[in-house]
Amino acid sequence: MPRVLAATSLLFKGIRASPLRSWWVAPGRRYSRELGGRRSSAGPGVRLSGLHLCSPKRSGCALRPALDELPQIRCTHNGYYTPSKDNVIFAGTERRHLGNQRLLAETDFSESLAGERACGSAVHRPSRLMGNVVQFFSNMAAPGIVMDSNHQSNYKLSKTEKKLLRKQIKARHTLLRHEGIETVSYATQSLIVANGGLGNQVSRNQLLPVLEKCGLVDALLMPPNKPYSCVRYTTVEESKKAYDTLNGREIVDDLGQKIILYLNFVEKAQWKELGLQALPPGLKVIEEIISSEDEKMLLESVNWTEDTDNQNFQKSLKHRRVKHFGYEFHYDNNNVDKDKPLPGGLPDICESILEKWLKAGFIKHKPDQLTINQYEPGHGIPAHIDTHSAFEDEIVSLSLGSEIVMDFKHPDGMTVPVMLPRRSLLVMTGESRYLWTHGITPRKFDTVQASKGHKSGIITSDVEDLTLNKRGIRTSFTFRKVRQTPCNCSYPLVCDSQMKEAPASFPESDKEALQLEQDYVHRVYEEIARHFSSTRHTPWPHIVEFLKALPSGSLVADIGCGNGKYLGINKELYMIGCDHSQNLVDICRERQYQAFVCDALAVPIRSGSCDACISIAVIHHFATAERRVAALQELVRLLRPGGKALIYVWAMEQEYNKKKSKYLRENRTSQGLKEEINNDTSVQELLVKQLPNVGNQDSAHSVSSINDFQDGGCNSRNVANSKLPIHTNRTSFHSQDLLVPWHLKENPGKDKRVEPFGPLGSRDPGPVFHRYYHVFCEGELEAACQTLSNISILQSYYDQGNWCVILQKV
Amino acid sequence: MRLLTHNLLSSHVRGVGPRGFPLRLQATEVRIHPVEFNPDFIARMIPKVEWAALLEAADTLHLVEVPKEPIQGYEHNEEFLRKMHHVLLEVEVLEGTLQCPESGRLFPISRGIPNMLLSDEETET
Repeated sequence: MPRVLAATSLLFKGIRASPLRSWWVAPGRRYSRELGGRRSSAGPGVRLSGLHLCSPKRSGCALRPALDELPQIRCTHNGYYTPSKDNVIFAGTERRHLGNQRLLAETDFSESLAGERACGSAVHRPSRLMGNVVQFFSNMAAPGIVMDSNHQSNYKLSKTEKKLLRKQIKARHTLLRHEGIETVSYATQSLIVANGGLGNQVSRNQLLPVLEKCGLVDALLMPPNKPYSCVRYTTVEESKKAYDTLNGREIVDDLGQKIILYLNFVEKAQWKELGLQALPPGLKVIEEIISSEDEKMLLESVNWTEDTDNQNFQKSLKHRRVKHFGYEFHYDNNNVDKDKPLPGGLPDICESILEKWLKAGFIKHKPDQLTINQYEPGHGIPAHIDTHSAFEDEIVSLSLGSEIVMDFKHPDGMTVPVMLPRRSLLVMTGESRYLWTHGITPRKFDTVQASKGHKSGIITSDVEDLTLNKRGIRTSFTFRKVRQTPCNCSYPLVCDSQMKEAPASFPESDKEALQLEQDYVHRVYEEIARHFSSTRHTPWPHIVEFLKALPSGSLVADIGCGNGKYLGINKELYMIGCDHSQNLVDICRERQYQAFVCDALAVPIRSGSCDACISIAVIHHFATAERRVAALQELVRLLRPGGKALIYVWAMEQEYNKKKSKYLRENRTSQGLKEEINNDTSVQELLVKQLPNVGNQDSAHSVSSINDFQDGGCNSRNVANSKLPIHTNRTSFHSQDLLVPWHLKENPGKDKRVEPFGPLGSRDPGPVFHRYYHVFCEGELEAACQTLSNISILQSYYDQGNWCVILQKV
Repeated sequence: MRLLTHNLLSSHVRGVGPRGFPLRLQATEVRIHPVEFNPDFIARMIPKVEWAALLEAADTLHLVEVPKEPIQGYEHNEEFLRKMHHVLLEVEVLEGTLQCPESGRLFPISRGIPNMLLSDEETET
């Protein structure tokens, strides 16, 4: 009798399938291949690209209603499902047979199919049978056919077309299998040109003209030694045109041999995975963004010979020339005076060009500051990051008169030289704007790639392909938008706003402690409540145990209940929760729990009324020992004689008995449950050891074990008024009092998969918040409890990076 | 906020101590929300309830008459238990105020959530 599985659920997804975890359960023994109207049957295990699922001939098949809902599938009378003519449905099976088909639906089998397995061969390996989930894919239509899953034409593919399709699919599979490149079945701006790569002797000179015939090429990336290239058109229509006309197109390679090109669409994200030294994330170069006429006009419009009295004007033979519009940029503090905008704003010609760019989507925001720089050969600008607090994220720079090589450098040391052609627009956003420095070396010649001509992109490090390019006079128009509020980017270590933030210091008085808690606990939780709650979903077993062991009808208070995680654990209890954060209490309310807002040092519950209390991960947020004891006192006050309290606080020792806590163990790519303790940090971990002048940052990489603290108590390094260090997530603690970063995700849980990258860009993470913690040493919590006269400690233990105490009121 | 919860709440305004109980309830929006009846659970709750406070609160809300004190043998009196179940668990105050009887300080109830936070000045030593 087969096991009953979970109820059938049908998910329609229009996205590219993630690597298949499902396996094909094919109870039937016959398969039908339908491609272009021809039917043939084959036994199990045949490696066909047109396989589809057969269901058993039995009623009540759970799959049937699911399949009926798919427009592409029609059910035949004998219970076999055949796909419609131009959309072949593939059941979930080995990846290489499917390439990258578009996932249409996914369904769980119910018991009618559970336990069934296909017998036979190459296609099926029982060890990969998991959960009986089947995924249905739609393949790409052949070139020339509208790629629409609802397309129901009776188009039959000719022989050559079928052959082409086969080859195209093969190319797709090869790309996936060998290069890890995933192609997609819907049109995008980017195409992989298989067989058109430097690796198979196809040069840029040969390929580019062919590609340019189909539309405006935004960029052509030809990775060295690869048998493919990646081309990005400015519009999807042009890309589609290329796809339609160039697939199967014959070109001649360097050796005079005939080559056939096969094109497939790729998502933008693929650019990064081409194994190239990628452009700094967030960076793009848009070539030929203005015409030669406009270039001339802009260059002529700049009046360099103004009065020397005019503050805009700066002349020096040794140094580049600069002019400012909108706001004046001060080089002494590298900032603008936001209160003193320059009269006149931006020049009119610029305004119209900016409007054009906005409309075309080249830029997202309208700048209000312009700096014009003129570089003669030999001039440069030292490597720098544009001051965070001065300007918003998007910074764009138009290069006129001459091309130049600009160097981008990451704090790790990686340098990427980027060619900026004439009339191109450099767009810096995200990491490239906030983290990487950019600069121009003062010299008269740049080293550029010989074969690429003057196209933009990274200058190769292939020595044989380099040549010198004499510099000309380059004028840059850098457009920026002035910030009106402090910067709260995700790169705090290089952010002047965040570094200037009155550094939190170890509190000396109760008042200071209150303020510290206000700024670094209460305010933060209010801001991050939603996201925080989404990472607090799994109740910890020992706490559940404690609650479940309480007698039925007990009155229990959860002081510092957060999102109410524990309020519904034991239905036999009457649990009320309270928290300082209104937003978190709101979430408790959404879950129908009884909760209210209050301070844990003054809990508005009558004394002696509770049978039990819990305080989970709360007391470590109090900034002085006195306040921590006061919080414990409150807990005890609420208890009736004989009542019990369970207290959890974060431990200084994140490794105990040679075992690392979950907090340390979880790597940054894991999600969900793994976000439990703390969320991930991205660049910060790397940065800590690299950046100089960053004050007393902890670069913690060795794990302090329990043995380090055997000399009685922790070495609390904090002297009054010393700065609180900012902790590096997922490393061990080096100070008992510290600030722990929280990287806020604006839409928690909404879309856990990778967001589409901008071309060569990366998704910019959200703002960072710091929370204050006092982490406890072994014995510290116990000792604090012992100071209370009317209790006895029942249990004291360590649980996943926390010190825990169960006490009882006598 | 259910009446059972209200029964536990007490004012923590400085210096007020036990005179801060019970909080005077004023409700502008009340909702009846059915809850599964568990006689055992209610029976265990009864001794923990401060009866006078409950009477006062139930009165303010014009609820069905609550007995002046628990009936003898209430543990087995289903009618009584059901009545108490209703009063304690099924009546929710969504909007209103709680007032400290000693100091007069008002605490708002909004969306069923009482906000008992005192301001910085009020908590200053």
